[in-house]
Amino acid sequence: MGLLSIFKKKDASAEPQKPASVASKPAETKKEVKPVADKITLGYTHLSGCTGCTVALADNYAGLLTLLDKYVDLKYMPTLADARHIQKVDVSFVEGSVCINDKLAVEEIKETREKSAIVVALGGCACYGNITRFSRGGQQNQPAHEAYLPIGDLIKVDVFIPGCAPTPQMIRNVAVMAYLLLKGTKEQKDLATAFLTPLMKLTEKNEACFCELMTQVINQGLCMGCGTCAAACPVNAITMEYGKPQGERDLCIKCGACYSQCPRSWFSFDVVENYEAINEAIMAALQ
Amino acid sequence: MGAELGKYKSVISARSTDKELLKHAQDGGIVSSLFAFALDEGIIDGAIVAASKEFAAKNPSKVIIDSSNFDMIEPWRPIPAIVNTKAELLAAAGTKYNISPNVALLKEATRAFGLDKIGIVGTPCQMQAVRKAQLYPIGMRDVGASIALAVGIFCMENFPYQSILQLVEDHAAMKLESVKKMEIGKGKFWVYGKRGQVVQLPLKVTHKYEQPGCHVCLDYVANLGDISTGSVGSPDGWSTVFVRSKIGDSVWAKAMAAGVFETQPMEKVKPGLELVTKLANEKITKNKATLEARKTFGVGKALRNPYI
Amino acid sequence: MSKVVEISPTTRHEGHSKLTLKVNDQGIIETGNWCSITPVRGVEKLAVGKTPEQVPKIASRVCGICPIAHCLAATEAMEASIKCEIPNDAKLLRQILQLANRLHSHALHDILILPDFYIPGTETKINPFTAEEPVRTVAKRIQRLREIGQTIGQIAGGDCIHPRNTRIGGMYRNVSEQAKTKMYDLAKEGLVLAHAQSEFMIAVIRNYHKRDFVDVGGMKVPMPKDLGYHSQGYLATHPFYGSSSLEECPTWDPRRFKEARPWDWYMGEMTVDLEEPRYPIGGTTKAGTKVNPQMEACTGIPMYDGQPVEVGPRARLVTYKNFDEKGTLGQNVAREMEYQDSLYEMLDCIDELNTAGKVVADYIPNGDGSLGWASNEAPRGTDVHLARVKDWKVQYFSMLVPTTWNFATCSAALRGAPWQLAEVIMRGYDPCVSCATHMVVLDEDNKLVAQKLIQ
Ligand SMILES: Cc1cc2nc3c(=O)[nH]c(=O)nc-3n(C[C@H](O)[C@H](O)[C@H](O)COP(=O)(O)OP(=O)(O)OC[C@H]3O[C@@H](n4cnc5c(N)ncnc54)[C@H](O)[C@@H]3O)c2cc1C
Ligand code: SF4
Ligand code: SF4
Ligand code: SF4
Ligand code: SF4
Repeated sequence: MGLLSIFKKKDASAEPQKPASVASKPAETKKEVKPVADKITLGYTHLSGCTGCTVALADNYAGLLTLLDKYVDLKYMPTLADARHIQKVDVSFVEGSVCINDKLAVEEIKETREKSAIVVALGGCACYGNITRFSRGGQQNQPAHEAYLPIGDLIKVDVFIPGCAPTPQMIRNVAVMAYLLLKGTKEQKDLATAFLTPLMKLTEKNEACFCELMTQVINQGLCMGCGTCAAACPVNAITMEYGKPQGERDLCIKCGACYSQCPRSWFSFDVVENYEAINEAIMAALQ
Repeated sequence: MGAELGKYKSVISARSTDKELLKHAQDGGIVSSLFAFALDEGIIDGAIVAASKEFAAKNPSKVIIDSSNFDMIEPWRPIPAIVNTKAELLAAAGTKYNISPNVALLKEATRAFGLDKIGIVGTPCQMQAVRKAQLYPIGMRDVGASIALAVGIFCMENFPYQSILQLVEDHAAMKLESVKKMEIGKGKFWVYGKRGQVVQLPLKVTHKYEQPGCHVCLDYVANLGDISTGSVGSPDGWSTVFVRSKIGDSVWAKAMAAGVFETQPMEKVKPGLELVTKLANEKITKNKATLEARKTFGVGKALRNPYI
Repeated sequence: MSKVVEISPTTRHEGHSKLTLKVNDQGIIETGNWCSITPVRGVEKLAVGKTPEQVPKIASRVCGICPIAHCLAATEAMEASIKCEIPNDAKLLRQILQLANRLHSHALHDILILPDFYIPGTETKINPFTAEEPVRTVAKRIQRLREIGQTIGQIAGGDCIHPRNTRIGGMYRNVSEQAKTKMYDLAKEGLVLAHAQSEFMIAVIRNYHKRDFVDVGGMKVPMPKDLGYHSQGYLATHPFYGSSSLEECPTWDPRRFKEARPWDWYMGEMTVDLEEPRYPIGGTTKAGTKVNPQMEACTGIPMYDGQPVEVGPRARLVTYKNFDEKGTLGQNVAREMEYQDSLYEMLDCIDELNTAGKVVADYIPNGDGSLGWASNEAPRGTDVHLARVKDWKVQYFSMLVPTTWNFATCSAALRGAPWQLAEVIMRGYDPCVSCATHMVVLDEDNKLVAQKLIQ
């Protein structure tokens, strides 16, 4: 609880903030106020993904505007803004896996790592390969584009946000926590660390599909039949049969949502027991 | 207050004032009355509960059914369902001692069902699932903010369906169809028949049938519900109620003001909070030992510990 | 003497693409090549051997901005191949989902193009993320419109980015009465916002095109009155949905379709010799860089009756509504005009939906290998998928997606414009590039296609 009371205090003081410019601001209009000093800088590298992750970010609706006003300075994100080249940033979101047969993609992921303090693999493709795991080349006009790897196979990744598409709320929560981690007081940093730890631990493994539920939860005698996995699956690959999950592996796209959403894959009492205060604080931060 | 009972604002012994409802309820009718009240007041616009085959037959669009052929669904097998009225709540009242994957409906509730304010009842582990989904909504888009009332029910252990079949039909020598109610209390597993038979089985018998996943469970009294309730601690026909969150506090206060429940102070009732604490401690201690044992389960190989 | 300038990567659209432009001394484009440089994930090839149920779920993930189009076109191509009729209420749910996606996608496009435009009557370009008025009100309205679209899509489709409720033979679930009412209320709210939004956008777009000069990175660029004009034709298969039968929709006849490889179409190796560091933001490609669109392009050049055609909002309005404004202006205006209609259509569909109706076909055949196709009018144009399913396995799968059509047409439309406005022209097509990275080679298959269709 100690962590949270501080978070809230900070929250009140963080209230009146000036609007900030975004990288998309056309060079011509110079009259705007400059970024709030303690915003974090964010980059967005788009590799072999479908932009659904970007849409999920945008689906914070009005909350996206608040994030940009108060906490995040968007430095590089060609889909939404004009900055064309990867910049040095505090946090990079990476969408999509890497086609190792495409020189540009390999350069971009390496450059992203070199220029970012924190790299977040956003979405099933970046974390686990997702549907690009099924790729096997042979399609014109680039038949040699055949091998795709989740970004963690090429660089060190700090945080995973699995799912396909990932959810706006998860992206929002990670963005707010990254802000606290980098700009907060000691106690806010502790809270952010506690919150992000499970997502950091997820990076230890670059593979997840329904099989993870089988091998790491059900086979381990941990499943208690809550049904969360079935709700989480974005392709209806999981049904609950006599209270236990059955995975239709012919449908599974390898997004990792079921596994990481399952309360028995990982569960942090420290954080989840404070759900009420943390949720309130995140919501207040976005007011 | 020790950590074994979780955080709570108040604890009280209570019973619904609705006599009709009490006929269907397991204990004090807390869950069904709360939801009925919340539906009336517009606090929720639907609730996820554990219904039955009969309910599913009448309301096929309100349930998720597994791949069994409908007529293969056995008596006492719970079917997660969304209910919108008091009558539907009553049809789903009472405890089914086997797994009802209620959380499986949580996302669909906000989609095909069009709910904006969801009520959900579940065991402590299901409450953990709900809160994890709110804080880490990895595969649960637009769900968290729609959860308007989560009611947790105490839980020592749960059973796969087939365990209940064996317990009732083999050990208690009763056909599942003819069972009116099942209950765990006073150290026994009770089976009440529709024709008045009562069979009690020692819990020693039931242990081997428990769901293995329950043996790593560290929550007895649904610490993460907005409100949580169970029979333990209160007299027969009454329930022990923990009011835990702000949401819980506000709903409970409104329900009390509306006369939905009659109450007795927890200190006045027998066996009281002491027993709840004792059982919670027993469960947690036992399951912590299981987690410990899993560390050295193999030869130099551990089984996974989900808690970080 | 013509010079070569390259803008890479292009911004404010989905995916990775670039513009390689040969320009004259005045900076006017003589030949423009717009090509995709997104790696080809090979969805058409990886689909082979999979089940027809899984392939649409993968196809959806080809693009996150028009996933609905891909999911529905793929599903319906499979259904056409196995000859499965779906119940009416399933069709209605799909139509609602389709229109909801159009609403959100058009609104998103507004955010992407706004920075090109000026607040009317001022010299201030619009930063959609600024907290200053009047822009903030518009940004909030756009986000609310998107929220309405996404929420309705989520109810009808199970999820709104990649839909979860669609399946071969119909939908997994019908929706409840409560959900139906919620969709209706949201659509009503959207209608009011959509009127205001399209009015605002059309004013902004017209104001831009009326200017004599526009500013690009401090360069004063003359505004041609025929920005983005081309002489290619248009293709649209339905005002808002699509079709999978020739009787229903004679406009799309696969027999009239051909595809060329970029080799025949794009420019060969060249060296960049015009470099403009002022071009926002980060400048154009460095002089001396070797470029080779022929080799780099990740898409083919699809043709209808031997010519590239334009698909998208204007193509739909030209085909079904006698719309006649040309160029980039016409394209952007047409898109804005689709807002209201998508909501009126949606209200009709919601009205007609019977929530007690069944949504899955009684019988779902396993397929005998026949060719099936389905077109779907994605927000950015006609999306056609073709499939063969035999014994519940996909034998052949092909996706002819909107932006692929538009690559060649847009390249033609670049000619005659100042190079600094090339991206403005390109954005008029609302490009969605990830999905365009493919190539259907129907040449050898063409006969087969024709035969099957004639039978
Ligand atoms: C597996 C299990 C073990 C339990 N163990 C204990 C215990 O050790 N000590 C104790 O005091 N109480 C225990 N309970 C709780 C107790 O049996 C009653 O459910 C609780 O007191 C609520 O009673 P009520 O009269 O207020 O609710 P009612 O008004 O009868 O409503 C009960 C609600 O629970 C739902 N429900 C029924 N079965 C399940 C299920 N399997 N999963 C999820 N939801 C379900 C019903 O649909 C209904 O909505 C257990 C319950 C379950 C399901
Ligand atoms: S994770 Fe899903 S939404 Fe994100 S890029 Fe991959 S396919 Fe698209
Ligand atoms: S089963 Fe579903 S949720 Fe799990 S990895 Fe596969 S697609 Fe994702
Ligand atoms: S989410 Fe985990 S614990 Fe719950 S049913 Fe699925 S596998 Fe079991
Ligand atoms: S004992 Fe724990 S894991 Fe088992 S059903 Fe009860 S709450 Fe869930």
